[in-house]
Amino acid sequence: MADVSTNSPRLILTDTNFRLWLPLFWIGLIAAAALFAPLIAPQDPLAQDLMMERLPPFFMEGSEPGYWLGTDSLGRDVLSRIIYGARIALFVSLIAATTTGIFGSALGLIAGYYGGWADRVISRLVDIWMAFPPVLFAVLLVAVMGTGLGSVIAAIALIDWTRFARVIRAETMVQARMDYVDSARIGGARRAATLVSEILPNVMPSIIALLMLEMGIAVIVEAILSFVNLSISSDDPTWGSMIAEGRGAIHFAWWVLLFPLIALFMTVLSFSTLGEGLKQHFDPVLK
Amino acid sequence: MTMTTAHAHTLDIINLNIALPRGQRLLRNVSLQLEPGEVRALVGESGAGKSMIGKAVLGILPHRIKRTEGEILLEGAHLNAMTPATRRSTVAKMSALIPQDPLTALNPVRKIGPQITDPLTRIHGWSHQRALARARELLDRVHIRAPDRVMHSYPHELSGGMRQRILIAAAFAPSPRLIVADEPTTALDVTVQKQILRLIRELQRETGTAVLFVTHDMGVVAKISQKVTVLFAGRVIEDAATRTVFENPAHPYTQALIAATPTPNVSAEPFQPVPAALITELHRETLAADALYAQRGRR
Repeated sequence: MADVSTNSPRLILTDTNFRLWLPLFWIGLIAAAALFAPLIAPQDPLAQDLMMERLPPFFMEGSEPGYWLGTDSLGRDVLSRIIYGARIALFVSLIAATTTGIFGSALGLIAGYYGGWADRVISRLVDIWMAFPPVLFAVLLVAVMGTGLGSVIAAIALIDWTRFARVIRAETMVQARMDYVDSARIGGARRAATLVSEILPNVMPSIIALLMLEMGIAVIVEAILSFVNLSISSDDPTWGSMIAEGRGAIHFAWWVLLFPLIALFMTVLSFSTLGEGLKQHFDPVLK
Repeated sequence: MTMTTAHAHTLDIINLNIALPRGQRLLRNVSLQLEPGEVRALVGESGAGKSMIGKAVLGILPHRIKRTEGEILLEGAHLNAMTPATRRSTVAKMSALIPQDPLTALNPVRKIGPQITDPLTRIHGWSHQRALARARELLDRVHIRAPDRVMHSYPHELSGGMRQRILIAAAFAPSPRLIVADEPTTALDVTVQKQILRLIRELQRETGTAVLFVTHDMGVVAKISQKVTVLFAGRVIEDAATRTVFENPAHPYTQALIAATPTPNVSAEPFQPVPAALITELHRETLAADALYAQRGRR
């Protein structure tokens, strides 16, 4: 019998290589699907065919060739819709997470390094912000700004900057107390220069890990907004709207719900695992 | 930079008071001088304000702690009269720090080389080539075998003793007039401590740099300094030549400190802790001095 410990999943997950390559593989797959959607998708994601409604996936009886993951209640191909849905999911996560990251990290760095009034104002703002329930806040923001890709991205950035601000503020405070910051100051570096050249590189691994986490969160928030039909025009296939549609038919066409859910789950998990892996990879001390 | 007075002290601290925002004083009317080429030890127990003096001179006091009174002069130039920018460049040009903890004094994500050469190019305006050559020379001087390899290393790749030697090289590289050594041997092994002390003393003699040596170890004081300032609760208790202090300490607290220094000599008397009654008495004096100070401020 094989040694149990060598097969345990814990070992695989603690290995930096797996932490990097497994999620990178899945994200690469999704990214390729998003980029080359028109070439890969077997069907038109918007084409409805009421004769082909609720076809089961390929491994079940009654499936049609070319409709690998079955069809929804309007006869649209689930696989093609997932592939096209990856476009919106990745686009939103990339832009929204970057915007959130830059904005939140900048505020966190300023609050943590300068302290005093800057810290008090930013910290109270974070407290106030976190008192809002995030999903309701997002729904409210999109409802006010109107639906569309821009509003979704703005909503995500506006809700989630506090995550970066909080974590980066704390990390900056720790780094700012280190002797090397004093040494740089004695060496004649300006305060702002010290922040950028000495402290920022030290908090960068955390920023990267948070950025990846945020990409996962952005995918979820976009899906939530799609789920309540507040994301982008209802014509464009998104994972959230597919889950919303599948929910009603779960008793007789579970595949409409399950497959986009798996895509969503895998993507979010990959992003957060990749974040941890990258943090370890870039941190010269942890490595 | 031209000197205004011929007989300027390298460092002249006059009646320095430093306080927390609520007014609690950390340094109480501290005055001390440092002549060119001199090593002055600052001794005292934890919290006596030894490091605060160094930090005040170098302009790196924690931002809630402020100078409330007194003057600091570097080679005759009033630091407190300068704008923050001039002050920073003056301090950077004339002084350097050998920090306490070699583990945190080097930025962990930057290579050693630029951390040594940065101040040389930034403040002294040296070319990159010249700064590199100087860094190599100093690293060689502190007995680092492969300076080029070390300059391309990250701090965590080197041992604590090696890092402290690098920090010493970095401090002496710009040939400063004043070096503040903030307990540079505290974080190191006893065996390494000795090497480090010897190295600082050698370099100090060669360059003629004045050193303000912060320590709580009377043994170190005896080895390295010509003058001593003994501090208690932010007050100067005794200020004298090192030899005088050891042969004939004037203040009972200094006597107690010397008696409390352990020696490797087994046959000698076991060391005596500082008597609690003396500490209580000193605290009483401090409180009285504070009350007087507060009264004077109110008037």
